[in-house]
Amino acid sequence: MNDSARVLVAHQLHKRFKAQEALRGLSLGVAPGELYGLVGPDGAGKTTALRIMAGVMGPDEGYARIAGKDPLSGDPAVRSMLGYMPQQYSLYGDLSVDENLAFFGKMFCLDKATFSAQRERLLHITRLGRFGDRRADALSGGMYKKLALACSLLPKPRVLLLDEPTNGVDPVSRRELWALLFELVEDGMAVVVSTAYMDEAERCHRVGLLHRGQLLMEGAPTRLMAEHGNAATFEDLFLAAVREAA
Amino acid sequence: MSGFITRLWALAKKEVLHMARDPQVILLALGMPLLLVVLFGYAVSFDVEDVPLAVVDQDHSPASRDFAARMDESDAFRIRFRLESEAEAEALFRADKVKAALVIPEGYARSLTRGEPTELQLLMDGADGTTARVAVGYASQMGQLETLRRVQDGLTMSMPLEPRVRTWFNPTMDSAVFVVPGLVAIILAVLSVLLAALTVAREWERGSMEQLFATPVDRLAVVLGKVLPYVALGILQFMLVLAAGAWLFDVPLRGRFVTVLLAVILFLTCSIGQGLLISMVTRNQQVATQVGAVSSILPALLLSGFLFPVENMPLILQVISRIVPARYLISVLRAVLLQGRSITDLGGPFLSLVLLAIALITLTTLKFRRRLD
Ligand SMILES: Nc1ncnc2c1ncn2[C@@H]1O[C@H](COP(=O)(O)OP(=O)(O)OP(=O)(O)O)[C@@H](O)[C@H]1O
Ligand SMILES: [Mg+2]
Repeated sequence: MNDSARVLVAHQLHKRFKAQEALRGLSLGVAPGELYGLVGPDGAGKTTALRIMAGVMGPDEGYARIAGKDPLSGDPAVRSMLGYMPQQYSLYGDLSVDENLAFFGKMFCLDKATFSAQRERLLHITRLGRFGDRRADALSGGMYKKLALACSLLPKPRVLLLDEPTNGVDPVSRRELWALLFELVEDGMAVVVSTAYMDEAERCHRVGLLHRGQLLMEGAPTRLMAEHGNAATFEDLFLAAVREAA
Repeated sequence: MSGFITRLWALAKKEVLHMARDPQVILLALGMPLLLVVLFGYAVSFDVEDVPLAVVDQDHSPASRDFAARMDESDAFRIRFRLESEAEAEALFRADKVKAALVIPEGYARSLTRGEPTELQLLMDGADGTTARVAVGYASQMGQLETLRRVQDGLTMSMPLEPRVRTWFNPTMDSAVFVVPGLVAIILAVLSVLLAALTVAREWERGSMEQLFATPVDRLAVVLGKVLPYVALGILQFMLVLAAGAWLFDVPLRGRFVTVLLAVILFLTCSIGQGLLISMVTRNQQVATQVGAVSSILPALLLSGFLFPVENMPLILQVISRIVPARYLISVLRAVLLQGRSITDLGGPFLSLVLLAIALITLTTLKFRRRLD
């Protein structure tokens, strides 16, 4: 796949926090309609990578591009192409579901018609319709994540970056969330998901194993399994790779 | 541009929702000013009335009865008991029946007529410190007046006595009137700096700043989206304090309301800018609170001309006080409220406030980077 087909590109990203090297030359590319899983142990640099790609943090070296544009630039067009759901709780807890949606709709300057159509659609697919009046901090973990997802989907982004979206979510909601992601990808969205769950990683079109700020391996799960024939499960494969690197 | 307005409006609206749903903010923003103005106002102009007094008249002379009667006539004291000995008074103190006892020793009248120094003793219940201090102030004032009266009556050898009544702890109502403008500045400064610092620090701590950065919002909108609602809240606080001041202490409004309102808005913009700046640098509610409290209270209290006239400060402090917005607000408030001056007389302070407001908002916006690192 050549770079022009990739709507999201990260090139040689380096990021250091004082003594801690969070990223050490991470490169990846994601095409429209592709679901990319960023897998790695705690502290591997997943959040840092996603933040840089989302343009909420600057890299020390390297760059990220969304449809060829710098996400760090103030260009509203780039922002509107980008949906980002941070790892930590980041909506307004004291605002209701509807108020959060309305607020972020305004941030993306959606006009009334677009907003209400989007709102209807997103409340429907996330099944949050009944909870419009509920405060965000009174939602369950799964519902909260769905609301955060709905907020990041408001501008109909071409690239969606999700940082551990199923962390602290019950199995049923997890399955629902993943079903949703597949729908989005089918519609042509490029999606990057970071996760610590191997079963989730296995369902991605491609995965990258991040360890200490570098990719240890990258490719389609089935292909990676075939290439490293001696691993019984996907999890074993990754654990072996991490052990080898350590 | 229309995008800017849309976002600014949404940000401001969201902020109002935060305020309205946070009982602490309401309590702090509206309760504190009232509490402070009442406390401060009364502390400086505590009018003691009808302090229960026991009189121990050991002289039994017309002069001693005369003096006791004069004490009773004043608003401050009310004679409740007439006793023979100090010991009896002590029992009444313990039983909390009196707060003060006046002891007129034997020979009082004789000393007076001879022009000898006389000594009256006033015993006070020190437990109620404020009342005690104020009552002592009254009493000594009366003692002086008494002496003065007798000097004028020619009953004593005339010694040039200064007819000056010193009121240490009891400036009259007039000083409450004088204090309220300073109080307005301090209350507005502290609360605006704190509330503004808290709201931004909270967004950092709770992670909503990260989500905000992922939207096309620009930093000026974020900054102004915080400034506008808190200016509105500050205006509310100001009106509350002004109303309380007018009602409790007869603080006048001799000039035009719009003039003070304009000064208040400019001042609030400065304070909120200061608060935002602090929280952008600290990114932490606790640190922001501490830095915010110190950096707002101290200058507003010490360098604003509230407690000490600016002209009496050391030169270096006079120079520093030029960048203390409270200084200008206080001078505008005093000039407009008390002297009825108009904005045309107040070009200097207004210009300073405008410049400070612009400087602080610019600095805050520049300092505010739309990034987590
Ligand atoms: N803002 C920061 N300041 C200092 N160090 C940081 C910061 N963000 C990340 N780090 C450090 O950089 C490294 C990578 O962190 P990062 O959060 O990107 O990892 P992660 O893969 O997302 O981990 P987790 O699974 O725990 O979310 C860690 O060692 C972390 O301590
Ligand atoms: Mg993380």
